Amino acid sequence: MKLDVNVLGTFHRMAREGAEQAANRLTQMTGVGTRVEVTKLNFMTAEDVQTEFGGRQHVGVRVDLAGGPGGTSIIVFEAGDARQIVSTLLQKTTEDEPEGEESFGEMDRSAITELGHIMNNGFIDGWADVLRTAIDISTPSFAAGASAEPIVGDLDEMTGDQDLALMFRSQIAAVGTRFGFRHYLFPDHDAMADTLARHRDGSDGFEFEKLIGFDQMVEQGATEVANSVTQMTGFKTGIEIRQLNFVPVESIPQQISEEQLVGVAFSFDGMPSGYLIFLFDEPSAEEIIEALLSRPPQGNGDGFDEIERSAIEEFGNIMASGFLDGWANVLGTAIDHSTPNYVRDMGSAVIDPIAIEVGQDQEYAFVFDTSIDAAERAFDCGIYAIPEEGRLEEALAALEVQNVDQASEKPSFPLDEAGGPGPDE
Amino acid sequence: MTAIKEGFAPNRDEILQVGIAEFAVTDEGQPFACYGLGSCVAIAMYDRSESIGGLAHVMLPSAAEIDGGQDAKFADTGCRRLFAELRALGAASKRVEAKLAGGSEMFEFEGIASDVGKRNVAAAKATLAELNVPIEAEAVGGNHGRSIVLDTASGTLAVKTANSEMRTI
Repeated sequence: MKLDVNVLGTFHRMAREGAEQAANRLTQMTGVGTRVEVTKLNFMTAEDVQTEFGGRQHVGVRVDLAGGPGGTSIIVFEAGDARQIVSTLLQKTTEDEPEGEESFGEMDRSAITELGHIMNNGFIDGWADVLRTAIDISTPSFAAGASAEPIVGDLDEMTGDQDLALMFRSQIAAVGTRFGFRHYLFPDHDAMADTLARHRDGSDGFEFEKLIGFDQMVEQGATEVANSVTQMTGFKTGIEIRQLNFVPVESIPQQISEEQLVGVAFSFDGMPSGYLIFLFDEPSAEEIIEALLSRPPQGNGDGFDEIERSAIEEFGNIMASGFLDGWANVLGTAIDHSTPNYVRDMGSAVIDPIAIEVGQDQEYAFVFDTSIDAAERAFDCGIYAIPEEGRLEEALAALEVQNVDQASEKPSFPLDEAGGPGPDE
Repeated sequence: MTAIKEGFAPNRDEILQVGIAEFAVTDEGQPFACYGLGSCVAIAMYDRSESIGGLAHVMLPSAAEIDGGQDAKFADTGCRRLFAELRALGAASKRVEAKLAGGSEMFEFEGIASDVGKRNVAAAKATLAELNVPIEAEAVGGNHGRSIVLDTASGTLAVKTANSEMRTI
C-alpha cells in the first residue's frame, strides 16, 4: 500500500473532523462550550505505544470497526484527565477511592465509557464523512491499566505486519478547563490499503512500509543529539520525547510556549531539505554557557553577551550536525546545514517564521519533535525538525528498506565522532 | 455573538486566544489575544460606536499562492472575511478602522528570502485600502516577537514584546 502527503492530509482532516464531532457532542451532552485546539497525527511502533503509557494509569474505551479502515479504534485518557472530565464536564464527583487499578467506580466507568463511545462515534462519523462510506462499530468496552496491554491488547498482533500504528492526539479546550486524549487507530491492513488507493493523488508516493524509515530518523536524530550534548557538556542526557507529528503548518507554533526562549535555528539542504531549530528555556541556556565557558553568564538577566551567544550558536551547530548526520545515515543521503541563527524571544514567535517558510509551499508538514533533558541539571532542549515534503517523499521513496534494518542494527554513533564537523564546514 | 468556531460559548472573564489561521468577532466586549506573533500578522478591526470588534491571525500574504487553508490563514482573504463578519454583526463599513501588529523578520537564512513578515503586512495594508478601512495604528516589523490583546469594544490594542513593557496603541 502506498502513501503520499495527500493521503496523510486526508487522515488529518478525518481526525480533525472526528475531534470536532467529539467536541460538539461533548457540548450537547454537558452544555459546556468546547473547541478543538490541536490535532496531531503520529506514526508509532508497538514500542512507542508502550512508551506512551509509561507506567501511568490510563483508561480506554475501544470499539471494533467494520467498513472504512476496519480494525480497532480506541480512545485513551490519562487517569487524571478522565477524573477531570467526570468531575468538571459531567458535574459528577469522582468516587472517593484510592489511586490504582480499581480507582474508577462503576458510575465513573459508565460515564467514561459513554463519553469515550461518543468520541469514538465522532471520529468514525468524521472518517465516514470524508471517505463517503458507512462504518459500523461494535459496542464499546472499558479498560483501565498502567500499560498498553490491558487497554490496547496485544500490540504485536494489533500492529501486525505494518509495524506502525496511527495515533491521533487531540486536545479539547472547554471553558475554564482543558483536557487531552489520544485516539489510536489500528487499521486492518487490507481495508486500509483499499481506502488509501481511493484517496491518493497522482503522485508516486511511497510504500507504507517505508514509514519505518521515519521511525529510524526520529531515533537516530535524537540519539546523535543526546550524544553530542553529553560530549560537549558532560551532562548525562536522556531522551524525553521522540515523536513524529503530521500537522497543518498553522498549528506548528501552537505547540510551543509563548514564554521567552533561547533558540538556534538552521536551514538544511539535501535529501531532504528543511528547517531545524533547538529551543532552550533561560535556565538551560545558562547551564550550557556555564558548561562551555566554565563561568556563569555575565548578563544582568537582560540577555547574553557576544561570547555567550557564540557559545550557544556553536553548541547548536554541533547538535545540528549530529542530528542531520543521524538522518543522513538512515536515508543514505547527504544533508548540509546553514550557519546558526541565534534568537532569544517568545517561543512561538521564534517558530512561526519557520512554519511560514514551510507553509509557502505546503499545507501540512511532518514535524520531528524531540526533547532531551539532563539528570540532575536544569537542562531541557526542545528540537523541532521540519523537512519540506517534496524532498522527503523522494528520500523515503528511494530508501531501501534493508538499509533501514541495517541502520537499526548499527551500534549508536560513537561519542568521539558526534562532535565532528558537519558536511558543510 | 462571538465566534471562532460555532458552539464555543463566549466568556467575558477569559481572554480568548485566536490561533494562527483563526479569526474571531464579537459584539459582547470579549477581549481577544494573539500570543507570540513572529512573522505572522494580527489584524484587528472594530467599529467603536457599535462596540463591535474582531481579530484575525494570518500567516501568509495571499490565498492565491497556495491551495487549501481557511480564509484567516491569509492576509488578503483574512481582511475580507473579518470585514464581512463585522458587517454581519452590524458594524457600519465607513466606521470600521484597523490596527496591525506583527510581521517581524526573526531570522536570516542563507539563500532564503525571509521577507514574508513584510509581505504579510503589505498584503494586509493593500487589502484594507481596497476595503476603504483606515489603519489607525500599527506595531509591525523589526526582529522581535509580539503578543497582543484587543479590547474589542474600544479598539485599544495592548502590545507586549519579550524585552519591553506593555504599551497600548
